[in-house]
Amino acid sequence: MQQRKRTASKRITNINLTYHFMILPGIIFLLIFNYAPMFGLIMAFQDYVPAKGVFSSDFVGFQHFSYMFSLPSIGRVFTNTIVIAGGKIIFNTLLAIVFAILLNEVRVRWLKKSVQTIVYLPNFLSWVVLASVVVNIFSLDGSVNQILESFGIGPFNFLGSNQLFRPLIIGTDVWKSFGFNSIVYLAAITSIDPGLHEAASIDGANWWRRVWHVTLPGMLPIILLLAILNLPNILNGGFDQIYNLYSPVVYQSGDIIDTYVYRVGLMGRDYSFGTAVGLFKSIIGLVLILSANQAAKKYTERQLF
Amino acid sequence: MNIKKVFMYCILFISLLSLLGCAKESKQEHNEDGQLIVRLGKQTATNPKLPEGDTFEDNAYTRLAEEVLDIELVNEFEANGEDYDRQVALAISSGELPDIMQVSQEEFEELYENDLIADLTDVFEEHASDYIRALYDSYEINPLEDTTFDGRIYGLPAAVNVTPPHMIWIRQDWIEELQLDFDADGDKLIKLDELESLALTFIEEDPGNTGNPVGIPLAHWLNEPGYGGAFTMTTIGSVFGSFPRNWIEDADGHITNGSLTPETKEALALIKDWFDRGILDPQFGTRSWDDIMALAVNGQTGIVTGAWHMPDWGLSNVKEMHPGVVFEAYTLVDDQNKVNIASQNPGGSIAVVRKDFSNPEVLMKLINLFYDTLKNEPNLEKVYPDIYQYQVLDVDGAARPLNMEILGATSELDHYAEIREAINGEIEVSDIPDARNQSIAISIMEYRDNPENASTAAWALYHSRMKGLELGQYLIDHDHFEWVNPVFFGSTPAIEQYYGNLLSMEEEEFIKIVTGVESIDYFDTFVEMWHNQGGAEILAEIEAEVAE
Repeated sequence: MQQRKRTASKRITNINLTYHFMILPGIIFLLIFNYAPMFGLIMAFQDYVPAKGVFSSDFVGFQHFSYMFSLPSIGRVFTNTIVIAGGKIIFNTLLAIVFAILLNEVRVRWLKKSVQTIVYLPNFLSWVVLASVVVNIFSLDGSVNQILESFGIGPFNFLGSNQLFRPLIIGTDVWKSFGFNSIVYLAAITSIDPGLHEAASIDGANWWRRVWHVTLPGMLPIILLLAILNLPNILNGGFDQIYNLYSPVVYQSGDIIDTYVYRVGLMGRDYSFGTAVGLFKSIIGLVLILSANQAAKKYTERQLF
Repeated sequence: MNIKKVFMYCILFISLLSLLGCAKESKQEHNEDGQLIVRLGKQTATNPKLPEGDTFEDNAYTRLAEEVLDIELVNEFEANGEDYDRQVALAISSGELPDIMQVSQEEFEELYENDLIADLTDVFEEHASDYIRALYDSYEINPLEDTTFDGRIYGLPAAVNVTPPHMIWIRQDWIEELQLDFDADGDKLIKLDELESLALTFIEEDPGNTGNPVGIPLAHWLNEPGYGGAFTMTTIGSVFGSFPRNWIEDADGHITNGSLTPETKEALALIKDWFDRGILDPQFGTRSWDDIMALAVNGQTGIVTGAWHMPDWGLSNVKEMHPGVVFEAYTLVDDQNKVNIASQNPGGSIAVVRKDFSNPEVLMKLINLFYDTLKNEPNLEKVYPDIYQYQVLDVDGAARPLNMEILGATSELDHYAEIREAINGEIEVSDIPDARNQSIAISIMEYRDNPENASTAAWALYHSRMKGLELGQYLIDHDHFEWVNPVFFGSTPAIEQYYGNLLSMEEEEFIKIVTGVESIDYFDTFVEMWHNQGGAEILAEIEAEVAE
């Protein structure tokens, strides 16, 4: 132990110093934008008045938290967040894995490359732009409903139905990002020793068997790691997507913590209450990260921190 | 490699960056010519009809103001409708207010409590013209009272007694095209069943040939206090005696909110029934204000609700798209042929000045210029030719530095009476004292004499006056109004704390009832929730204040 420590510090003083300085801007960025604002969390325990500022607003203790739990809409907001974010994580992971496996089988190089590019593309478009496309396609007189109607189904009010809004949100998000997410899985597949595949085929395994017994087990550590890394995101439903697609009709099924805090805290100018809800979200997020870390330690023998 | 050197460079580079980041952009108070720079929060309009090249920041109105007051006007932000409210909310939360902006009563009170706006008492006493004072004084309750705290004035409110009632604007050209027997007696007073069958006919016949007609669209907030709200259900609710979002006395003499009454429940039941039968827009709730306007502009709907002035700023867009369009103003009456209506506070948006602004008198001078000098200039064409040209083009009033009106208590109908006399040939157009009304009269005659070739401006002015205001005048003359007087208009601590949340809850629960997520009896649950979430406290405070 003693030995290791000494070599580590020795290394830093030498060549690696330059590299360590390279992360300095990132750390400063983190301090300014992620740590400094934490100071504002005091507002959650105050009756914050902008004119008085954080230093002289009156403290009210946990009043905003008890008000939060007395509101019937708050439970709904948390449920929506978890269902939507959870759905996104699950379906994004599943689809990305399936897509990576299938794409890996494509032997024609140009086809593989162009398919890859096409499915990546939506990931780089902003939801502000995509939302208007989605609204156009899924509105009552949009193309989806016209196609459905030609089969004698519908029409469905996707953007105004509490049953269909969540699937729509999850579906469009998966469509937008599964291609990009599949990059890591593709890399994981290529790192599997081709010898294993050959051995399996010689033993008479068909394609399906090889995927099941060679490819998937080979990917498993990466899948687990990414799933665990994603867990803290379970409270991030995706503000920009939902904000651009929702309306009061679907608050019931689509209002997430972030949109709620935005509406109440910033637009309703109830800063303290908004902060209290945001802080509560962060606490749950922290608990999830810590448990994810424990899980990672247990199942992948790796720790995040 | 000289690590020390690299390190020093890194530190230098980073401190430079952070210095750049920290350096607060110090705003200049004066431009190069030594003129005072005045930053406005600018409320705009969708179809301002500004001449080519002119903008909200640089047009005949702003150029005049800059010249007269020797200032430079800069728009800190420009936005319309909900976006403007968002900009104001962001400005308040960041504490970086423009020098002058317009806010709602609610925002105004918050700004006052946060000590962010200037005391305008001395400015008003010193600079307000007698004419402006007289306008404010003409009201039974001076609108300035709403902006006065402890005898000090903190904002200058708009003052308009919007002429009632809340109306329904219907595509008359469609009615004629389909040869419908609608409103047979021609008094513009219609019953609910007439409106229902008209909407169903419009859906069935699709006179706009759009392929997806919509019966009656309503905005998702459904109600606003007063009778000026576009796309609200005010006129429909009034048939039942429902006056949502007004503080009124119930049958037992207790103060309540109009949103909680059994009459409102009945009105909602009707809207829900309309939704089920497809009379109401099937995408009700998901459409924004702009979307609904687009329905009218596309010709998908021919029935919209709103105030008398709707043709001036909204329906004129329809005319631009469909030159032959003709609207007619109707209003709904109850079984006794009465138009039920809750009287309204004359106030509206409030102009405020940032607390530390060096020259708060600029606001008062702007108000004097636009609401007194220009209004009362008998020879506008010669003295202010650019402004005169704007009025001929019917450029939207939003182009002015302040997008509000300050009028006397009876101004709207008084002006209309003068215009009508001139049109009927009883007086000369030049006898109308106000230059703006002279040009309105001329435009109306242009449309009357040649409706096919009249400009959109003339079309809009004809519609708003000869149809909108005419209907209001008719109802007064024939004693059709049944007035309900709200008992309270102001604010209390509990209103500030809870009412915002109660309004969003109301909006949401009403949508649920209308779209069938909850049954109509859920209304009673809503009333209970309303009382539990601070409503009871509000009512108690209002009772106490009214008792004083």
